[in-house]
Amino acid sequence: MSPYESATSAGSSSGSSSAYSSTKPADIDGLLAGAGYKVRSSDLRHVAQRLERLETAMVNSPVELSQLASSDTVHYNPSDIGSWVDSLLSEFNHTPSLPSDLPDLPGIVVGPGISPTVINEADATWMDHDAPQQQQQSAQSLGIPPNQLTVVTAMEEDSGIRLVHLLMTCAESVQRGEFSLAGSLIDDMQSLLRRVNTTCGIGKVAGYFIDALSRRIFTPQASGLFGGSGSASAYENELLYHHFYEACPYLKFAHFTANQAILEAFDGHDCVHVIDFNLMHGLQWPALIQALALRPGGPPLLRLTGIGPPSPDGRDSLREIGLRLAELARSVNVRFAFRGVAAQRLEDVKPWMLQVNSKEAVAVNSILQLHRLLGSDPNRSPPIEIVLGWIRQLNPKIMTVIEHEANHNQPGFMDRFTESLYYYSTMFDSLEACTLQPEKALAEIYIQREICNVVSCEGSARLERHEPLAKWRSRLGQAGFRPLHLGSNAFKQASMLLTLFSAEGYCVEENEGCLTLGWHSRPLISASAWQAVPDANSPLGIVNHHHNNHNAL
Amino acid sequence: MAGSNEVNLNESKMVVPLNTWVLISNFKLAYNLLRRPDGTFNRHLAEFLDRKVPANAKPVDGVFSFDVVLDRSTGLYIRIYRLAHGEEPQLNIADLEKPVTAEVVPVIVFFHGGSFAHSSANSAIYDALCRRLVGICKAVVVSVNYRRAPENRYPCAYDDGWAALKWVSSRSWLQSKDSKVHIYLAGDSSGGNIVHHVAFRAVESDIEVLGNILLNPMFGGLERTESETRLDGKYFVTTRDRDWYWRAYLPEGEDRDHPACNPFGPKGKSLEGIKFPKSLVVVASLDLIQDWQLAYAKGLEKAGQVVKLLYLEQATVGFYLLPNNNHFYTVMDEINNFVCSDC
Repeated sequence: MSPYESATSAGSSSGSSSAYSSTKPADIDGLLAGAGYKVRSSDLRHVAQRLERLETAMVNSPVELSQLASSDTVHYNPSDIGSWVDSLLSEFNHTPSLPSDLPDLPGIVVGPGISPTVINEADATWMDHDAPQQQQQSAQSLGIPPNQLTVVTAMEEDSGIRLVHLLMTCAESVQRGEFSLAGSLIDDMQSLLRRVNTTCGIGKVAGYFIDALSRRIFTPQASGLFGGSGSASAYENELLYHHFYEACPYLKFAHFTANQAILEAFDGHDCVHVIDFNLMHGLQWPALIQALALRPGGPPLLRLTGIGPPSPDGRDSLREIGLRLAELARSVNVRFAFRGVAAQRLEDVKPWMLQVNSKEAVAVNSILQLHRLLGSDPNRSPPIEIVLGWIRQLNPKIMTVIEHEANHNQPGFMDRFTESLYYYSTMFDSLEACTLQPEKALAEIYIQREICNVVSCEGSARLERHEPLAKWRSRLGQAGFRPLHLGSNAFKQASMLLTLFSAEGYCVEENEGCLTLGWHSRPLISASAWQAVPDANSPLGIVNHHHNNHNAL
Repeated sequence: MAGSNEVNLNESKMVVPLNTWVLISNFKLAYNLLRRPDGTFNRHLAEFLDRKVPANAKPVDGVFSFDVVLDRSTGLYIRIYRLAHGEEPQLNIADLEKPVTAEVVPVIVFFHGGSFAHSSANSAIYDALCRRLVGICKAVVVSVNYRRAPENRYPCAYDDGWAALKWVSSRSWLQSKDSKVHIYLAGDSSGGNIVHHVAFRAVESDIEVLGNILLNPMFGGLERTESETRLDGKYFVTTRDRDWYWRAYLPEGEDRDHPACNPFGPKGKSLEGIKFPKSLVVVASLDLIQDWQLAYAKGLEKAGQVVKLLYLEQATVGFYLLPNNNHFYTVMDEINNFVCSDC
């Protein structure tokens, strides 16, 4: 599929030359799509009427308007103008002093809900976005007096540009299989590196990419070091992850946003069960436990199932984390049960291991895990399909999915290389703002391992198969999930979290019901929430649970 | 019916295409929620509602874009849009700042609108507009993500514009064959206002701005003009909201005769005898602040400056956001001629 084909949708010209792809469903107004809005051409008139009605309501009820504008109203998916307007209109409907001539409004219920018009579409793919090298700041951070700044900047820029040129040429020769050329380019780059500042900016990032390329060229068999199983110990991974968590807000954002969505999904349920696809040190869960403790009406019974790799040295790290969380839960009077599921790979987990019972509300929480299932072996069914299949059969109240907002799983090596160079340059740039040590240094090692996996590994060893939100939407839609929109209160709270914890430059954006966190204008991580679409074949519209799950109870 | 609470939206519906009406009305209503009576602004909700697009170094319809951060502490970045040459499907990072190749390449520094408070360089509507500008004028467009009001009042937007102008003029890869960067300033609404003030600042420097393009520029004054009274609330905009935005942008305690708002008013500085760029001023006949915009064009003329006024009958605010009306094409043509007059 060529993502850049111009499509003409019914009744409107597609003169849009925007970065929004034109492969959208027919009948969506092409020009409004270019402006970021989804409205069917056939609905335009109807949406216009709703806008008029909303304006009338706003003019007639200025007091309600100020309430509407307050922080209590939650907005969802602004791209869908029709449902956004309707949700505001229904807010007016709830207020007592309505003018009597306001006609009956349809029974649209305001969230935490699902926009009824956004289901299972093969959406316009969000095109690859790339951030430039930020060569300026490498000079700035050298602390050079202003009048000398331009000279150094020019030098840095030249070497920086040469480094980038060499990197791209080297990657291209790797893709072409010209390994002796690639090898000599590595030498050139390493000598160039000696003349460039490698403590920050392009020099630092280039260093990591040169290293990764070098591993690919010279020691491909050892690339397993940065591949999946049996590589760095689980203990090391957890340590690096924890420092990455501390050094920058990406994981905090992920936890925070997922917890908010889970909390909302668990509203009204007395027995809840969270399945965490990668427990690590359980950093996400104290906040949820505390939030549940403070829930009006009291906390539910909380079960947490934490999945993680087996510990080789006889320690049961999963259980240790579980015990600590149990202590916390006890201290805030939340009935809590923990179960650890040790599995080397997520696809080794079978649903019966999770012991879900039919009375509990289930939340599946996947932080940077689903992309690891995208590697495919022609002899087996794709792991992603297997896992998404059993998740769907669990019929969770919510599945929270956090993924890198990056396109590192393209078949061509050059494409992956270029994308990851842009992506990780931006991420490293954001890390410059961190002053905590050793958090920053260890976070850099954490990121470096990802880079190595993307660049120097292949096949089953290449686990870091990041795909952008648009691809996940399509994949999850096809697997029988529909989006649950994250609303403006989650957005606002995420933005406030950023101002508390981080440097200027991080930004949260809303993207059709999902939230992304990025550095300056480049989104780097996305958070979305999902629910299984009811199985049409089942008489009650209830998804058939696998017999394994329920016979055990 | 003539009740005071009656909202008569019929007039605006008759002069713009339906999708434009939906787009601008949607903005209008959303913006009503964002402006608080006490002068504060619901920035979180604004950012949540704003439709943004990332930069894209892969050419779409022959145009690619990338962002450059100019000042980390203030979040000032610019989004650069360029024509892709040849059939390269894959742009190298090093290609982003490859020197321009034509004899003369106009570089348009663009300031998006939003009445100083709304939108960003990565807002979808402005990303689309900049891409269209590149395609039509074969120019490089540099869109500036200036700081917005009310969190950042005068002169922040002008300072950021000035910083961007300096950066652009110092890029060797943007130089035409005569080793000079051919710079034009362009902007709509508040962006048009910024164009004027940045050009004014450039006069005293050695940076040459070849031309100013002001699309429905945002000017005002203490006086209530005839067009403001006549058109109040009729075509998406009210004088109350205009007043709110000036209160949000101007320094506290200042009124609308402040020179930022009213450059040819009682507190303005004279432009007589100075080397000010030629100006293209586009005024929509259904824009309620047109009297101020026309006065601006007149003011330039009286000061002996070169100005071309394009007065568009039956055009409303935002007509240039969607390419679905004749005015859009008329204006694009004029802009093309304006920046290519020395090509």
